[in-house]
Amino acid sequence: MPESDTKRQTFEAEALPHLDTVYRVALRLAADESRAEDLVQETMLRAYRSWHQYTRGTNARAWLLTILRHTFINQYRKAKRAAVEVDIHQIESYTVFHDVQETDPEGAFFDTIVDDEVLRAIDTLPDGFRETLILSDVEGLAYAEIATITEVPVGTVKSRLFRARQALQRQLYDYAVEMGYIQRREA
Amino acid sequence: MTDEPRDTDCMEVLDRLYEYIDGELTPERAAEVRRHLDACAPCFRLAGFESAYVRFLEARTRGQHAPAALRKKILEQLLLEGSSSESP
Ligand SMILES: [Zn+2]
Repeated sequence: MPESDTKRQTFEAEALPHLDTVYRVALRLAADESRAEDLVQETMLRAYRSWHQYTRGTNARAWLLTILRHTFINQYRKAKRAAVEVDIHQIESYTVFHDVQETDPEGAFFDTIVDDEVLRAIDTLPDGFRETLILSDVEGLAYAEIATITEVPVGTVKSRLFRARQALQRQLYDYAVEMGYIQRREA
Repeated sequence: MTDEPRDTDCMEVLDRLYEYIDGELTPERAAEVRRHLDACAPCFRLAGFESAYVRFLEARTRGQHAPAALRKKILEQLLLEGSSSESP
């Protein structure tokens, strides 16, 4: 069997099953569908061309996400993002829980917020925080994997995830209040 | 010391709460947090709220899949690459 067939077969068996993951992460990084598709194509092509550097049976998902991230940084991050970023340093309050503990301690109001609104809110997080939250909460990666992919210490992953989740929570709460899904606590 | 101020415990638990929810703590550390949550109603309620929030984020963000057309394009791309070697 020609070498290229074997290469393609192993790539299809080990890399392609992660296409949905690559796509979802690309969507949130690029915040634009057509750019995300270009980014995914570019990533999969690069991965295929450097497939000989991948050790079979290791973490193909993390390997692909690393290539995706480098591709994004090199070619796309410079381009203007459509979304307006929140200033993550403005988030002082620890958790929305303190605002809702009397009226909605179990956070039932979250269920009133639809997928698109959550994704839109994620898109407004600053880059480093957004990618950490996506890898953790959208794709379920472990802190150590995220640290490897984003090239920061595990402690940084932990603090970024904390702040990203808190900023997002505050934003979703404000949205729910604005939509009348929940009453803001009187100060 | 047996009489550690309760607040210190709570602060530690708050600091580790997401690690606890994400299953990132060692079994020993997780057991410590669990013990505190069982004994401290405010932390227990907060932990419930934050777990619900994290589960909500997961449920709301994992529904998207790569479009079939994109998958097809990539497969075609691989075929075109075909026998061309690793070097560009
Ligand atoms: Zn406590």
